[in-house]
This record gives sequence, C-alpha cells and structure tokens, in this order.
Amino acid sequence: MDRLHVKKDYPLADKRPELILTPTGKKIDQITMEQVLEGNVTIDDCRISDRTLEYQAQISESAGNRQMAANLRRAAELTTFSDERVLEIYGALRPFRSTKEELLKIAEELEAKGAVLNAAFVRQASEVYQKRKKLKGDK
Amino acid sequence: MKRSKRFEVLEKRPINLDGFSEEWAEVGLIAMESEYDPEPSIEIQSGVVMEMDGKRREAFDSIDLFIADYGINLDNAEAAMKTDTLQIARMLVDVNVSRDEILKITTAITPAKITKVMSHLNVVEIMMAQMKMRARRRPSNQAHITNLEDNPVLMAADAAEAALRGFSEIETTTAVSRYAPFNALALLVGGLCGKRRILSQCSLEEALELKMGMKGLTSYAETVSVYGTEAVMTDGDDTPWSKGFLASIYASRGMKMRFTSGTGAEVLMGNTEKKSMLYLEARCLFLTKGCGVQGTQNGSVSCIGIPGAVPGGFRVIAAENLMASMLNLEVASGNDQTFTHSDMRRMSKVFMQLLPGTDFISSGYSAMPNYDDMFAGSNTDCDDYDDWYILQRDMRVDGGILPIREEDAIGIRNKGAKALQAVFQYFDLPEITEAEVEEATYAYSSYDMPKRNMVEDLKAAERFLAGNTGFDVAKALWEKGFQDVSENVLDMLKQRITGDYLHTAAIFDEEFKLESALNDPNLYEGPGTGYQISEERWSKMIQKENILGPSAL
Repeated sequence: MDRLHVKKDYPLADKRPELILTPTGKKIDQITMEQVLEGNVTIDDCRISDRTLEYQAQISESAGNRQMAANLRRAAELTTFSDERVLEIYGALRPFRSTKEELLKIAEELEAKGAVLNAAFVRQASEVYQKRKKLKGDK
Repeated sequence: MKRSKRFEVLEKRPINLDGFSEEWAEVGLIAMESEYDPEPSIEIQSGVVMEMDGKRREAFDSIDLFIADYGINLDNAEAAMKTDTLQIARMLVDVNVSRDEILKITTAITPAKITKVMSHLNVVEIMMAQMKMRARRRPSNQAHITNLEDNPVLMAADAAEAALRGFSEIETTTAVSRYAPFNALALLVGGLCGKRRILSQCSLEEALELKMGMKGLTSYAETVSVYGTEAVMTDGDDTPWSKGFLASIYASRGMKMRFTSGTGAEVLMGNTEKKSMLYLEARCLFLTKGCGVQGTQNGSVSCIGIPGAVPGGFRVIAAENLMASMLNLEVASGNDQTFTHSDMRRMSKVFMQLLPGTDFISSGYSAMPNYDDMFAGSNTDCDDYDDWYILQRDMRVDGGILPIREEDAIGIRNKGAKALQAVFQYFDLPEITEAEVEEATYAYSSYDMPKRNMVEDLKAAERFLAGNTGFDVAKALWEKGFQDVSENVLDMLKQRITGDYLHTAAIFDEEFKLESALNDPNLYEGPGTGYQISEERWSKMIQKENILGPSAL
C-alpha cells in the first residue's frame, strides 16, 4: 500500500475508514450503542491499534512533522503493553527512581516485545541519567 | 512634603495594588535579551549536533541533549542558522512569505536563535506574526470548570453551559484531589449534553491524570509540565525522557495531549542558570517539539506574576506564544490566571492573543465566578462574558464564544445536572437530590449549592474509578433515558480509535466535524485571507438582548 498523505487521506475516519480496525478487529461503524447494549462491544474495542498509529505517523510525516511521526511510532509499540506496565515504566523513568541496570532491564523487556524504538529511547535515558546523576541514589 | 491631590488619587487606583519589580538578570528576573543568554550556534557532524548555542556536546545537560537529538530539523539547520535573525523577524510580518516557508527555517534553528528573532519584534509585529503563524485556521477558546466544594452537580451544569457558549475544551481540577473521578465524570456528562463534541480534561499529578484518560473519563490532557533548566525539571520530578515516554503513552491510548510551560516558572522554582525567561521558554518549546507532542499550553500561564512584574512582560508572553506557533505547535495561550487589580491591564493582556487569534485564546476562561476557580482564579470569569461579547462585536474579532439566551442556559444546565443525577443513580453513588438539580440549574456559584456529604462522596468516587470507565457511563446514560448524551460519550471514546484528533490543534466544530491544522490550516497571507468570520457566525456574535433595534431608536 502507498504511504498515506495528509492531503488525500486525512482525517482517516472520513477519507479512509476502511483502513481503521480496532485491536480487536472491529470496524469503526460496528461501534454503536446498540452493539454496546447487546454486549458485542466492550471498552477493549475503544482503543487505537498499532497499525492505525502507523497510518497517523505517515500522515504526520507527509505534513512535515517528523517528531510527531516518531512519537506515534513509539506509541504504536506501546499499544500491546498494559496500562499498569506503561505507568510503571513511566515511573521508572522519573529522576532518582531506577539504577542503570534497572533501566537496561526495562529496555530488554521492551525489545523482547518488539518495542525497539522505546528500547533505544530508554537505553539512551540510562546513559544520560548516569552522566547527569539522575539515577537511584544520585540525589 | 505637601501631597498633590492628583497623586493621592492615582496612588489609590487598582493598578497601584499590583506588584512590579526591576530586572535582575543574575537570578533570571529578566524578560528577554539577558547578557547571560548564549549566542546562537550549531555544529553538525555526520547528522549529530556537536555544538549548540555555544556549548560543546560533552557539556550538554539532559535538556540540551534532548533538543539537539530530537528537537531541531537538522536537514535544514546549517542554512537556517545562517539566516540573519532580523531577516527571519521581517519574514514573520511579511504577508508575502507563507507560514510554511517560515516553518522550514524556524523548526531548524536553536533556542538561542529563536529568542534573538523575538528581540526584533514589537508587540504589534508579534501579533501580526501570531495571526499568520497560528496552526489552525479558526481560533477557539477553553474554559475552566471547577468549584470550591468540588460539587459535581454544579460542575455538570457549568460544563453544559460552557459547551453551549462554544468553548471547544473544558478543563477541571480539584479542591480535594480524591474528588477527581467525580470532577472528570461531571465534565464528561455535562459537557456532552448539548449538540457539540467538547474535549474535557482533569488536571492532576501526571500519573493520576493519565489514569483518568485511560479510563475514558477525560478526552485529552494538558497538565504535562516541562521546564527550561535541568534542575527545575528534576524538581518537577521528570526528565525529558520520562516526559517523552509519557507523551507516547497518551498517543498509544489514542488520546490528545499537550505539554505546558511558560515564562517565569524557573524563576519561581529558583533555578534559572541566569538565563532570560524567554530563552528558557524557548528550550521548553524545543523540548516539547522533540517529544513529538502536538501542542503546548504556554504564555506564562500560572506564573504570570513574574513576567508581569518586569519591563516588557506582556511582550515576552506574546512572544512565547508566537515561538510555539513558529515550531508548528498548537498554542493554548494562557490568560488563565488572575494577576492584576486593573481591568485595563487584564484586558490589554488578553488583546495580545484575542486580536491575532490563537488556537485557544484562554486556557482557560473561568466559567464560574473567580472564587470558584480552583486554578487560583482566571484572568476573565463568568462576570466578564458580556464584556467579552461586546469586545468581539466592537472589533469584529472571534474570541471563540457566542452570546446565549438565558432560557437556553437554564435549559442546558438543567439537562446537565439531571444527566449526572441519573448516572449517579445508575452506579449507586451518593444521591443527587431534586433540590441540588434545581439549585445547580439557576446557581451563580457554589455558595448557592446545598452541602454534600464529602466523606461519602470521596469513598464513592474511589469505588467508581476502580470499577468503571467512560464506556460504562455511556451505558448508564442510555439506560437512564439520556440516549443523545450517551451517543456523544461513545462518540468521544471512538475518537481514540481513529487517532485523527491526535494531530496538531484538533477540535470539533458545531457540526461534529474535526478541525485541525492538517485539514483546516491557517493560510493567512494578508488582508482577505486566512480565517474570516462567516456571516452566519457574525450574526450570532452581535446578538444581545439589550441591543436597540430601529424601532426603539
């Protein structure tokens, strides 16, 4: 498939609705109150998929915003992690929370689940935190 | 000395109750152009920034490094850095130079360079540039919805009225933080009672704010603070990497978010590294850009007392809003904190964003009397609505909201309060009585509301958050007969499936249509271009019940 472009494909909901699938495989027009009341749609259907985030990253790129595209690609990788786990990793990245080894372990975990961009991001953080004294015990 | 009677009168004017201070560059108490600000420079080797603004890579702190590695478009950096700052300033006010052309330069320069560009502009030029550089075609506005008692019924009614007035976003926070789930719920239900999609948020500590979003009780986040020095960033309990990761979490849940920063924050928090307020804000904005976040709430925000006290304070605040637009960020431009006793002064401050138009002129406008504003009061509150409307009418300027009729306000407030009453009933939360609904419908402030049992409310709020999501709220509304509100709540949840509203400056218009910088960009290129108020909108903007028609005249 050609890469998406802001001029012809955005907003996706109007211009390319056929591309949007929830992580549970549902189409956007299947998410209705009728379906909710019949129990066929749950909160897990109201989430963005990694593929949709990749499409939105392409839209960003075509609009000249490479930083947002990078953020959306990191986000795509995080869709498979639980709310609890991403909150924990956020906490671990705050100053003085983690040793370098702990951060590297998180990077390994991310990488093992395919989150290679986030793994690199956390590895870089571990280097910077060491140099700038933001690791556990540095306070 | 024998006193002059005129000086004695002047002394008692409201303006003289304000606090002012001299510049003091050594502690960073200087708006811009500090002698301690660095000279712009960049050196790139094999795609890596080896020097930025006079500092070698090995001496970079965490913010320098993040900006150098993520925040600057290096492809064009060497050429852009060679462009004279005066020339860039002139391009900003030249209607023959397009926004896109300017962005190619301004996203490829350094914090010191963009700060220098600002030093060439006077306030009218800043406003001209802001009119051109704003990301979204149509300016809009945001409201605060809070109250002293965290009374959820009043909040739902206030949210409903704010949506009717045309605010595109509503923001709440708490007096008592454990009330947060109910505050978020009240805005969600009240805000979506009418015929438009309104975005709502609940400003809390970072992790808790995220949780509210994950639960679908809010639809965006804003209180994600960044700072311009490493020491203050650390005091704020974050690093560029933790904030960058947080930004990705929001996007991974399909939720809109913006960062927040502003001049004066580093002065207040006691570590400026002797740099000017504007230079530190430039660092915040490049950091925001580097995280790939779509926008910022800036313009000194809650720190306005600091730049507001020094010479050139309003100018620097307008300049920082403009800098954000020059990085192609959505701007929610402050005007959200009480800072002066002078009405002349507070409206003059608003004009600098109202006249050119920003993505959100206030962030936000207090929809209640200021004593109920738990963000410590806003620059304008519900008592100022008619002044705001008449100023829009006087100047043919769109400040994002429209006059409404009293009976319509009463009607929608009642619906908001009733819808929340029904949701509380459905989830077996502490009862909302008919008397509370009635008071919230007609109330001026929280003083009019019957007291609730706070202990019971707080216990219930915790229980509610543990077991339910926005999805359950949609179900509750449906089963209680509020099908239209239910559809709206589901509709907002569906937005996070498509991700269209993750992009720069996204809001929804009256017809439920998405408007963002991508599908409805600001293309101002001089008179007759860019945002034009439609005749239909103008006819609504000039309506007021006390305006005389020909027969009365």
